[in-house]
Amino acid sequence: MAKPRSTTAAASIFLGPATCVVLIMLVSPLALLARYSLDKFDPSELMIEAVTSANYARFFTEAFYYQVMRTTIGVAALVTFLCLLLGLPLAYRLARTTSRWKSAWMLLVILPLFIGSTIRTVGWMILFAKSGMMDTLAATFFRSHVDLMYTPAAVVIGTLSVNLPFMVITLQSVFEGIDTRLEEAAQGLGATPGRAFWRVIWPLSLPGIGIAAILSFILGMNAYATPVLLGGPRFQMMAPLLFWEFNTNSNWPFSAALAFILMATTLLLTTLANSIIPLRYRA
Amino acid sequence: MRDARGLGEIAGSAAVWLLVVLACLAIFLPLVLTFYLSVFNEQMIVFPPHGYTLSWYGQIAGKFGAAIWSSLKIALVAVALSLLVGIPAGIGLSRYRFRGREALSTFLLSPLTIPGIAIGLGIYVLAVWIEERTEIVLAGSMRLLILAHVLITMPWVIRLCLASLSNHERTTEEAAASLGANPLMVVWRVTLPAMRPGIVAAALFAFIISFENLEINLFLVSPGVSTLPVAVLQYLGYHIDPLVAAVAVAQIVVVGAALMLLNRFVRLSQVLS
Repeated sequence: MAKPRSTTAAASIFLGPATCVVLIMLVSPLALLARYSLDKFDPSELMIEAVTSANYARFFTEAFYYQVMRTTIGVAALVTFLCLLLGLPLAYRLARTTSRWKSAWMLLVILPLFIGSTIRTVGWMILFAKSGMMDTLAATFFRSHVDLMYTPAAVVIGTLSVNLPFMVITLQSVFEGIDTRLEEAAQGLGATPGRAFWRVIWPLSLPGIGIAAILSFILGMNAYATPVLLGGPRFQMMAPLLFWEFNTNSNWPFSAALAFILMATTLLLTTLANSIIPLRYRA
Repeated sequence: MRDARGLGEIAGSAAVWLLVVLACLAIFLPLVLTFYLSVFNEQMIVFPPHGYTLSWYGQIAGKFGAAIWSSLKIALVAVALSLLVGIPAGIGLSRYRFRGREALSTFLLSPLTIPGIAIGLGIYVLAVWIEERTEIVLAGSMRLLILAHVLITMPWVIRLCLASLSNHERTTEEAAASLGANPLMVVWRVTLPAMRPGIVAAALFAFIISFENLEINLFLVSPGVSTLPVAVLQYLGYHIDPLVAAVAVAQIVVVGAALMLLNRFVRLSQVLS
């Protein structure tokens, strides 16, 4: 067998370039961003080198930003809840079906994952737009107007639609990993299908469900296209706010601080959520 | 008693079916509506339309041609580069056992967990920082977009290579080595051919990831260089019409075709979760 030294050399040849890519394109940009988030900002001179916590303090002291963060967390949490509600039955059906169309169905659910969120929002815009489909239908049948465009409900529906396939695919593989004989045994002992699900499948799949929920929550926290397109200019969430501060105000220090606040909040909340899951159910 | 339980069961299963239908609507309704709008013979969204036409598809190239072309170029070059860097990394991670291997693997896959909006902003400020010191123009250039896309596609290449090597028998490699093949020869003649389905899948996957990215592109496009998702987003800011629906349908069809191809090489649902 090869000597340890030559193994190290070989391993670094294989792994070195990839490590360099992540160091140069991810670690150094984030390090520079962290440094910039401590700089001062002046509308005429833009960024001024300094070491100040003013950008972070501004976020936590001004009510507007607190409101934006609350909206972001609220949308992400509500979307995650709805994703679980709608995703669980579909994922369970998909996992347990013996239909020969199963793989076609799976492919159909996977397809939207790879179509950008912008493209998938187009359909909702058609439905919600003023004098769009829903508005016209409501006017014809109920003689009333429905204007969902630029409302929080539209953003929640749009984001739900983007996150749901992720949820279904993750949950499907969780259920797929649970032996069907367990349900058969439960039902053989007299449990109804519903009871068999809640008493046998649910506890067994809880770690996987937790992972799926956290994934959906993270996607919701970072959503950009749906709040911009369906929420309109007055609906503010973190990612659009960050881009706006960068692009319109050229306030790099503050947008850098926003990036870290967003990442830290997401990390904190997901860690917290993970600690709520009882120890014995954890992945 | 028995009847009550029977009724409860019926109500329960009806509720479950309702949820399944709602879930399917939430996933597929927007896609179906986009198909529908793309054939409207109208300038705007008017229900019901006066007629149907396929002419919007003919206008895609004129309005979005440049963006589609640069998206394609970026994706193709980024895929080639990320295969070049990602395949060896996948082989390295699966072949060598060393201290910190788990940590390195997490590190190499970390671009998947950092929000795109933070990556995009970070890469932009770094590009400007470098530009100020070396006068190499990076921000708003095609090269920078390609490099950024290498970062986000490479983790998928590594993941798919790791998956395709998980059942790989090292004995063939050892046999080749003992018969006198040098290590490079072993990788080229034994390991890589064994990984071929995984590599094809990785290439397709990386292509799709690059092609549909929005958040990172937002920070890195310039008036000269735009990508399709950014162009569509900017267009949607002002108007929604059958043309943009036609572009969306075209993209859905391209991605769908790539996925069908991909599905022949790997079990997609396993790769994703």
